[in-house]
Amino acid sequence: MDEQDKHPGEEVKRLERFINDLVSLQALPALWSGGDPSQIAHILMDVLHRLLRLDLIYVELKGVSGEAPVEFARVAQSPVMASQVGEIGAELHRLLGDDPQKWPSHARRGFEDRDMSVVPLRLGLHGEIGTIVAGAERADFPEVTEGLLLRVAANQAVLSLHEARLLSEQKRLANELDRRIAQRTAELAAANEQLKLQVGLLQLIPVAAWTIQPDGTPDLINQNWLEYTGQSVDYLLSEPEAWMAAVHPDDREVASTSFWNGVRSGRDFAMETRFRRVQDGAYRWHLNRAVALRDADGKIVKFVGTSTDIDDLKQAQEALRNTQAEMATMARAMTVGELTASIAHEVNQPLSGIITNASTCLRMLDADPPNIEGALETARRTIRDGNRASEIIARLRALFSRRLATTEPVDLNEAAKEVIALLLSKLQRDGVILVCELADDLPLVAGDRVQLQQVIMNMLQNASDAMIDLKERSRQLLIQTRRDEADNVRLTVQDNGIGLGPQAASKLFDAFYTTKNGGMGIGLSVSRWIVENHQGRIWAQPNDGPGATFSFSIPCRPAQLASGG
Amino acid sequence: MDKRSLVSIVDDDESVRESLPDLLREFGFEARSFKSGEEFLASSYLERTKCLILDIAMPGMTGFDVQRELKTRNRPIPVVFITAQRDEDAWSRPLKEKAVACLLKPFSDTALLHAIRTAFGTE
Repeated sequence: MDEQDKHPGEEVKRLERFINDLVSLQALPALWSGGDPSQIAHILMDVLHRLLRLDLIYVELKGVSGEAPVEFARVAQSPVMASQVGEIGAELHRLLGDDPQKWPSHARRGFEDRDMSVVPLRLGLHGEIGTIVAGAERADFPEVTEGLLLRVAANQAVLSLHEARLLSEQKRLANELDRRIAQRTAELAAANEQLKLQVGLLQLIPVAAWTIQPDGTPDLINQNWLEYTGQSVDYLLSEPEAWMAAVHPDDREVASTSFWNGVRSGRDFAMETRFRRVQDGAYRWHLNRAVALRDADGKIVKFVGTSTDIDDLKQAQEALRNTQAEMATMARAMTVGELTASIAHEVNQPLSGIITNASTCLRMLDADPPNIEGALETARRTIRDGNRASEIIARLRALFSRRLATTEPVDLNEAAKEVIALLLSKLQRDGVILVCELADDLPLVAGDRVQLQQVIMNMLQNASDAMIDLKERSRQLLIQTRRDEADNVRLTVQDNGIGLGPQAASKLFDAFYTTKNGGMGIGLSVSRWIVENHQGRIWAQPNDGPGATFSFSIPCRPAQLASGG
Repeated sequence: MDKRSLVSIVDDDESVRESLPDLLREFGFEARSFKSGEEFLASSYLERTKCLILDIAMPGMTGFDVQRELKTRNRPIPVVFITAQRDEDAWSRPLKEKAVACLLKPFSDTALLHAIRTAFGTE
């Protein structure tokens, strides 16, 4: 070392400065501790600038986990504007090569119209942390001590940057964790809010609502129910059928059966029961519906249900039924006019017998000698015909008076024959050929004889009306009774009249639907009402040929009616 | 009027078929009753019948059908219609069909006797 030989005093001072500088560098980690990479870079640049009188210092820190690299730079004494840092980095890459790994350990290059000695240093064994470039215009840069200081500073920085990276990673993880916790907490809070809302809804919806466990035990019962029945939650949960105390005593057996059948079936179920309203002690009809909730495996989790007060609806239905009954009476009344002649016919027949017999009787008694035996016989016949007339009048009274439906065993053949007798003369006047095919072995049905006769009469009159305009062929009416495959008694009336329009068939049985002038269209709707009250059905179908066929069928022994009779 | 003349009755109503013959016999006629026009037309009494008491409304052949059939067969028996029906047909049609009379059930014995006498042309 020539310089050292020439100026021993200078050399000592330089070494002293070098040692001081080394000591300062040793203190850096303490200064950096806890700082982030950018603080470390700035301090590093400050210190190197001061110690080495640099004209340029550039630090590039590689990004962690895919982030972009961060660049820092100083030129002479002044800090560099952020926008210029990138330009400096780009210039260095242009001067030294694209890959910092391959940069020379020392080079002299023209940098921004000046020559400059530049020393790149890799941070980390393979530059994985980044790169430092120190530059000075001095041609002797770096002196030996300066190179040492640079390497020591770089090593110190690597340790601290590594530590900072870990710290920052930890911080990031901690932040991420915090964020996730916060997110989850928010989600839970929202879910909880939703759950509260749902439970609240169950409590507040304007029907009684409840949930039942798969075994039928009550689970949750809403406020509406509690207020309606006056039952407490504790009471309701005390035993599975505690709720039954609110059911009308007459409905309990059916309710219990329906309920347990529903629960055991594992399907949605519904039942109607009367519940006692605690407010006024009134039993009111409720529609109870339950839906089975299942988990992903199809196992029932619980039943959710509601009990809706349908009492007003029921009453409206009842009122409607009464109206229909009145309409039925009205329909009867409407046929009165048409049937006056038939009634007269029916009544005048026996009256005729009575008068003839009585006249004969008088003549026999008046004879000389009186024919006592003949007179007795004619008197007997008079009484018999009188009774017959009385029966006919009673039957007509029943037919045209409003009364409640009665249930009795009815021979549909006999019932049909009576109606035919009433209508016969009218049918004949209308030129209708009536053919009767009544089954011999027809079983009895349970029902209201007069109501069923009304249906038959309606069918016959409709059939007759349908043929009124027939000119080109004879008017043929066929009435049949038979027992069908499903053990129903079926009565069929077939005509060869105008037939059914395509859209008429569906509307035929609706009230006030009619194709007839002057008719109110009540007949068929009343007929349907009557037949359905007998658990039967009524229908119409077009014939293969001209005309239509109307039929109704009634079970031989409808259970409900049969038990009453 | 021949007291032994045969008066036939056609009516689907049993009480008429039972009571009228006795009354007619009280009047001094021979009487036979039939429950349908078909039965009467097929019987041997047709030839001997001098007067026919005929119900209008019956299943099968009506009274008018029977009267028409008699005309077709060229058997002009005088007809007294009887009916329980009280509509216009009961009045107008028998007259149009040249019936002797039409009696509305119930009718009196004297009204019947009057009608039969008219049929025999004795009144």
